[in-house]
Amino acid sequence: MKYLSEYRDGTIGRAIADRIRATATKQWMIMELCGGQTHTIVRQGIDELLSGVVEMIHGPGCPVCVTPLEQIDRAVHLASRPDVILTSFGDMLRVPGSECDLLQVRARGGAIRVVYSPLDAVKMAIDNPDKQVVFFAVGFETTAPANAMAVWRAAQLDVSNFSMLVSHVTVPPAMLAILDAPDNHVQAFLAAGHVCTVMGWEEYEPIAAKYQVPIIVTGFEPVDILEGIWLAVQQLEAGEARVENQYVRSVRRDGNLPARKLVSKIFRVADRKWRGIGEIPGSGLAIREEFADFDAERRFALEDLATNEPAECRSGDVLRGRIKPNECPMFGTACVPDHPMGAPMVSSEGACAAYFNYGRTRIKGTAAPKGVKESV
Amino acid sequence: MTATIPAFACPAPIGVTDRVVLGHGSGGKLSGALLRQHFLPHFQSSALRQLGDGAVVSAGVSQVVVSTDTFVVSPLEFPGGNIGTLAVNGTVNDLAMMGAHPYYLTAAFVIEEGLPLEVLDRIVASMAHAAHVAGVEIVTGDTKVVERGKGDGLFINTTGIGFADSEFRPMPSNVRPGDVVLLSGPIGLHGMTILSTREGLGFESDLASDTAALYPLVDAVKRATDGAVSALRDPTRGGLASALNEIAASSGVGVMIEEASLPIPAAVAGACEMLGLDPLYVANEGNFVAFVPEAYADAALAALQAHPLGANARRIGVAVAEHPSMVVMRTGFGATRIVDLLPGDQLPRIC
Amino acid sequence: MCLGIPGRIVEIHHDRGLPMGVVDFGGVRREACLAYVADDIAVGDYAIVHVGFAISKVDEAEATRTFEVLKEMSQLDELEWMADAVPDLQLAEREKSP
Repeated sequence: MKYLSEYRDGTIGRAIADRIRATATKQWMIMELCGGQTHTIVRQGIDELLSGVVEMIHGPGCPVCVTPLEQIDRAVHLASRPDVILTSFGDMLRVPGSECDLLQVRARGGAIRVVYSPLDAVKMAIDNPDKQVVFFAVGFETTAPANAMAVWRAAQLDVSNFSMLVSHVTVPPAMLAILDAPDNHVQAFLAAGHVCTVMGWEEYEPIAAKYQVPIIVTGFEPVDILEGIWLAVQQLEAGEARVENQYVRSVRRDGNLPARKLVSKIFRVADRKWRGIGEIPGSGLAIREEFADFDAERRFALEDLATNEPAECRSGDVLRGRIKPNECPMFGTACVPDHPMGAPMVSSEGACAAYFNYGRTRIKGTAAPKGVKESV
Repeated sequence: MTATIPAFACPAPIGVTDRVVLGHGSGGKLSGALLRQHFLPHFQSSALRQLGDGAVVSAGVSQVVVSTDTFVVSPLEFPGGNIGTLAVNGTVNDLAMMGAHPYYLTAAFVIEEGLPLEVLDRIVASMAHAAHVAGVEIVTGDTKVVERGKGDGLFINTTGIGFADSEFRPMPSNVRPGDVVLLSGPIGLHGMTILSTREGLGFESDLASDTAALYPLVDAVKRATDGAVSALRDPTRGGLASALNEIAASSGVGVMIEEASLPIPAAVAGACEMLGLDPLYVANEGNFVAFVPEAYADAALAALQAHPLGANARRIGVAVAEHPSMVVMRTGFGATRIVDLLPGDQLPRIC
Repeated sequence: MCLGIPGRIVEIHHDRGLPMGVVDFGGVRREACLAYVADDIAVGDYAIVHVGFAISKVDEAEATRTFEVLKEMSQLDELEWMADAVPDLQLAEREKSP
């Protein structure tokens, strides 16, 4: 596929890795912000390719992983109502809530439908006038324009049985929380290419300047990531700290202005809890008053719910890059994709799932499975 | 893989459920668990415990291969076939994977009240045609009707009977390190065709199911290798990854495959990219993998490619002594990754 | 956040005022909302599509330019290590030429 497959070329990738090795005079610690980047890095062995030269620290860039337990529980509660059809992206269905996940709610009779686009959920509301259709609107800034358009469209077409359960998070406050942490080791960042496609990179410039960290806006294919790491290493070696754009085929400095405009029209900045991390002020989006009719939390008067997270789950430390997934005592034993303790083991973009699914033969400290079949 | 959940336990460890969930039907780990925990403890049969595509049973001196399968696909009709075509080809192929020449089928129908008769006619006509092409006779059957709302249109069970050459018994325990892995045709066509019809996830394409009766191909490989095929499996639900994992697990041998060698049609690749799916886990209905000793690999591949159904056959990997029971893939980029069974169905993603 | 893939716009239309299009991803086609790229995009252009929305037009000129740089760099590398790997061959070649 054009503009995709060529960025998976191993020869080009290894050539860039050679350049990185030739340029680095010491080991650098770089954090990639996006879960999709984490997965490419582990799946394609980029961390291995650069071992000793660059250590990749995996950031909290998986919106599924950081969706607060309360929102999952709210989704479970709504989906369990007979008058509700809950629509969602596929990623959310296996994430454990306090009591169960959405797939189990479906087994108990809840109406849950996977959609590809938020507009499909609006259409479903139009097609099912006797039901309440709730869309579980999760994501970073990349998905906000799509979710905003769903509200806009529902308002325009007067689809009164449509509402959204919102769990949006934004990147810069999370980055600042990481940089402000006293034990921070991150020296440079790979910013998320699709977040920046929407938002541009203006808001990262003051961060790069204040904390003196290079920030490279990077794509998601292995060649993109290697090129992003190379640009970061060049800056680090030269003592520079700028925002640079690797993902030139998609990102411009001011991003996508019509998208940003509609997002601000529908959403306002709000405080948001990040699962495993805690509350980060100003790090979320909430539906504005004018569109309150489409806010599921208000429509259904969802109470504050008591939540229950396994105490042993270290997903917060994994999401902050403090530990690698295989350093968690539960990894690969009590916590595996079949029965995950926390979201990063479930989500296709979670660091724990990436390590489990792709990295076990290589990564020290993760045992290969003893044999898939138990004796019968 | 065994796991212990600490005593403090979260209130409902998610891996333990009190109900059947859709993932139990996916062909992945949950399916395996359902079998081991809820069926095998009751059904005491050494033939059953082999967990092959079918069973070889004897009565006196005769040996018969029997296999059964139930088809629950939705929609009932789709590009390339319908539930009836699958019901015939699916069971015929299970027999073929045991090395048996298929001869007879039974067909049992559970029909939901309200199914239009013209739909039933089309499906039954397709079954007759598929049976004719496959060279099998449908000799007995059953029909039940259930109330509206209790049947998803139509369910079909077919049981197949075939006869095997006593010398030709492909099974995972025959696989040895060094055996070559051959794939008879492109992957992902059936599963992505079904997905393309799904409300909300749908897309337009020229995709069609690859459903086909595979015994002629199996026979071609058998002749080309003097019967020295180690193992056969058709990657239906759970895709190529699940089929390879089943063989690796049963045989105890490791499997290494090359991503660059996999025949993935452009439309399958495009749809998978769009939805965030991995073609390795997408269902197929018209291809199979064969583990063949190295000495016979070229002959087997040539035999496959000479047949219309095997025109896109490829050598995709090799059985190895390393990483026993695990399937590992070398990616197009040059890295190696584990190809594990998924817990349940693959889900489209945004991330 | 992540799963945005490039596709080619093959058709543009409006649905009750909303600019929509059909995008081709290597042979499969799906409808996508073009509201956020409507001013830039034309049939035949490539866009990055995320959850059924085009979020940017692919800058084909920039993509080609930067990719060429990478390709050249990797080809240079290949020539270098090929030369290292076959010193005897080079010597033989030189001896042969007049």
